Amino acid sequence: MSGCRLFSLRAAAVAAAVTAARASRVPRVFTATHRPLHTSLRSCSFAKELFLGNIEQKGVFPFPEVSQDELNEINQFVGPLERFFTEEVDSRKIDQEGKIPVDTLEKLKSLGLFGIQVPEEYGGLGLSNTMYARLGEIISMDCSITVTLAAHQAIGLKGIILVGTEEQKAKYLPKLASGEHIAAFCLTEPASGSDAASIQTRAMLSEDKKYFVLNGSKVWITNGGLASIFTVFAKTQVVDSDGSIKDKITAFIVERDFGGITNGKPEEKLGIRGSNTCEVHFENTRVPVENVLGEVGGGFKVAMNILNSGRFSMGSAVSGMLKKLIELTAEYACTRKQFNRNLSEFGLIQEKFVLMAQKAYVMESMAYLTAGMLDQPGFPDCSIEAAMVKVFSSEAAWQCVSEALQILGGSGYMKDYPYERMLRDARILLIFEGTNEILRLFIALTGLQHAGRILTSRIKELKRGNVTTVLETIGRRLRDSLSRTVDLGLTSKPGVVHPSLGDSANKLEENVYYFGRTVETLLLRFGKTIVEEQLVLKRVANILINLYAMTAVLSRASRSIRTGLPNHDHEVMLANMFCVEAYYQNLFSLSQLDKYSPENLDEQVKKVSQQILEKRAYICAHPLDRTS
Amino acid sequence: MSWVQARLLAKGLSRGWGGICRTGLSEAPVAQVSLRAPRGLHCSAVTHKDDTWLIPQPSEPQKPNKVPVVHEELFGSSANGERDKKSFTHAVRSFGEHNVRKRGHVDFIYLALRKMPEFGVERDLSVYNLLLDVFPKEVFRPRNFIQRIFVHYPRQQECGLAVLDQMERHGVMPDRETEFLLIQIFGRHSYPMLKFLRMKLWLTRFKNINPYPVPRDLPQDPLDLAKLSLRHMEPDLSAKVTVYQMSLPSDSTGIDPIQPHIVGIQSPDQQAALARHNPSKPVFVEGPFPLWLRNKCVYYHILRADLPSPEEEKVEEIPEEWNLYYPMQLDLEYSRSGWDNYEFDVDKVTEGPVFAMCMAGAHDQATLVKWIQGLQETNPTLAQVPVIFRLARSTGELLTISRQEEQSPPHSPPKGQEEDEAFQAQQQQGQS
Repeated sequence: MSGCRLFSLRAAAVAAAVTAARASRVPRVFTATHRPLHTSLRSCSFAKELFLGNIEQKGVFPFPEVSQDELNEINQFVGPLERFFTEEVDSRKIDQEGKIPVDTLEKLKSLGLFGIQVPEEYGGLGLSNTMYARLGEIISMDCSITVTLAAHQAIGLKGIILVGTEEQKAKYLPKLASGEHIAAFCLTEPASGSDAASIQTRAMLSEDKKYFVLNGSKVWITNGGLASIFTVFAKTQVVDSDGSIKDKITAFIVERDFGGITNGKPEEKLGIRGSNTCEVHFENTRVPVENVLGEVGGGFKVAMNILNSGRFSMGSAVSGMLKKLIELTAEYACTRKQFNRNLSEFGLIQEKFVLMAQKAYVMESMAYLTAGMLDQPGFPDCSIEAAMVKVFSSEAAWQCVSEALQILGGSGYMKDYPYERMLRDARILLIFEGTNEILRLFIALTGLQHAGRILTSRIKELKRGNVTTVLETIGRRLRDSLSRTVDLGLTSKPGVVHPSLGDSANKLEENVYYFGRTVETLLLRFGKTIVEEQLVLKRVANILINLYAMTAVLSRASRSIRTGLPNHDHEVMLANMFCVEAYYQNLFSLSQLDKYSPENLDEQVKKVSQQILEKRAYICAHPLDRTS
Repeated sequence: MSWVQARLLAKGLSRGWGGICRTGLSEAPVAQVSLRAPRGLHCSAVTHKDDTWLIPQPSEPQKPNKVPVVHEELFGSSANGERDKKSFTHAVRSFGEHNVRKRGHVDFIYLALRKMPEFGVERDLSVYNLLLDVFPKEVFRPRNFIQRIFVHYPRQQECGLAVLDQMERHGVMPDRETEFLLIQIFGRHSYPMLKFLRMKLWLTRFKNINPYPVPRDLPQDPLDLAKLSLRHMEPDLSAKVTVYQMSLPSDSTGIDPIQPHIVGIQSPDQQAALARHNPSKPVFVEGPFPLWLRNKCVYYHILRADLPSPEEEKVEEIPEEWNLYYPMQLDLEYSRSGWDNYEFDVDKVTEGPVFAMCMAGAHDQATLVKWIQGLQETNPTLAQVPVIFRLARSTGELLTISRQEEQSPPHSPPKGQEEDEAFQAQQQQGQS
């Protein structure tokens, strides 16, 4: 307890120092926020509190803002970048040739895009997460470049920033930030996707204990062919605390110059064809001991932190892409005539624009809310929030690009238009950086772990049959069923949510309250075996994503009204529409989580899948089959 | 002993009753048809000796009132060596040509039904329709309500039922033509028609009731048959069938006069289980165990171990650093509540693991050693494990009942086809 208080005091001190530093350096371009990125030091409580049926307003309401100076600075940067991408980058050519031209790469380097988040003292731009997200919006105009840059700095060199020593930072970061060296992240192996225990690459300590000898192969390494610096994860032998020798994962910084590194040929992919993906083989590569990233045997945590910290930026990138997409398709819909009417006059076409705008608005809100939370002092851990942004934005991207293609009809299917390329590019979003299925499990389980710990004593008493607790629970359920109005303080006077969004806020509160109740019931029912109930976990994650999205939208729209941004009435409509939709989706999911509800088809799902997988085939008879 | 006597008596009585019926109902000497109108009464062990109970047995020599089988020559004469559908239909047609009045058609149909398996047409619907076509049309249809109340032309209806019964036994589904014929012959309100409707209803439902269907025509090659049987027993679809040794005909030169085939099956899970097996504990080769596929019995052997003692069983620990993306277990103190525990309270007898199965042409140890040697190539740990052969002396008595000696049991001489009643009586006595 005292440690906790001490920590919060320290956090406050850091915050004060940062603001002081900012104030003193206002005139500078790109005000650096010298916050070494750290994760999992303090829990960021918003998503976790939702599991308990509470809304933690701190950090979420009001919507995080950036200072005017920061905004001006970034806007100065955004203009030329946008011009560069619209005028000089030929996405179609990149896609066809499967390669980003050298001069384009050089220009990207000169713009400093290879070191967006590298601290200024190491030659990077040293931008905050919010600013990084803003740049991501523009960079996303070409998916191959986005992926190349993300592999370089969101995961490739992130390890050095997160856990690197001063020497490692000084040695590698300047060249990486300038783009002289490109980084790659080598984790995946033929037999090991998310299963870290099956990593085969080995690093053996040499006899003089000066270097490790690295052997093994990694597959699907983005930038594998371009990179000169690799973050490699390999098994090493570590003496455990009890004296036994164990295999543990260690992270290394490996230079291509260490020798013994070879590439396979670039893979042919469905989308993001301009990015370089290939196998990387290490054969007796000698890695000096000072190139160990973090501690020997601590590679697992390093990998987890890198992966968790890289996800939030997908939201803004996809929203940038969607905004562009809306412009392109709207242009088409307003000029193409059928039956003497523009396409834009047809209801079914109009609906698709609403969908795209709504998704873009929601994911933008989520992305910048998360970035803002990450930028708060105190090194918050927003891994759940970041994962939610990733899941929501990737799925929305796939859906919206597909709908946009639909607006174009046959033309969308042709290579003359960019839509089929965008569709191909968007497909990877659901897969990489952790597939959405895996991230849903992560979201649900992390939250349930938190809620489960806090509810331990209550559930134990319920299980033991403590009369007061049981009666209290029954009483509460009765009150809930007799139309209880939920008030979690979003709309109280003066509320954090603007009154024009009051209905939506009430819907959110109701959802949050009943979600908390459902989580309690689920924990009571399944306890720690809930890990095995993946269908339940998926629904929990879906509800949570909706709740977070509703919160982000409400917070942002309220801010827009109150600060009087242009078209805020449009925002309010989008926000209210989304909240209504999400509310009913949540109600449906909640009823599916109810054990005896008719919506709950889990048992049937399990049975059908079992029958199919037993035969490994579709087992229904053909409709034309006869028995006689 | 009194039980046997009673049974013999009952049998005699039933025959007598049949004779009475015959004389009462028809003038023609029909020795072969034992009319069993009140079926329920006679459904004792006596009549159920064979499942072909509606069709009379081939003439039993000990019977005194033996009458030569009529129309036999129709099926015999066409035999220019070939016995197929063509010659069968020819025989049936020639009956109709020879016999415009269709005299003795009931006898002929019974005979034809018996002959069908010989000609290999017992699963052919068109042949059954042809056979039904032998009946004269419109003659046996009831004309008034009294005829409709009682069984009109019982012998002919019985015969029609026999045709349908044989169809049912061979899983032949009647079609519209059958229905049309039956209506023409017996009318809509008759027992064959009732049988037809029931077949239409139930055969469709029962046709695919076996979730593990065995192909109708089993492969003749013992190697293929072994592969099929092993696949049939193994639930894991990723299991691999390996032929360890091809069978060589006995006349090929060599030291071994006969080299039997050896086919084995092993799934990846079994392979992993064998790799985990404690080498100090022995594994056993056991068998032969019978497996019935339709009317064939084949024998297989298994490689298994005893159940590891509880203290030996390793508790599978979830490694701490396993999943990069989400927690594999929650750190909570409470588990699933009783309401959501769907596991039935079943007393399970846990058995030792089975590591592999094989089928071989011979069931002796020398052959099975070759199988183990072959297994060692894919399972290196097996070389360190002592293998004990626990082979049964005989395959048991099951084979003595099987008529077709496809695979002779390893050591026991078959008891012979002692299918006489005394043997049956002995068995019955043993049971009672």
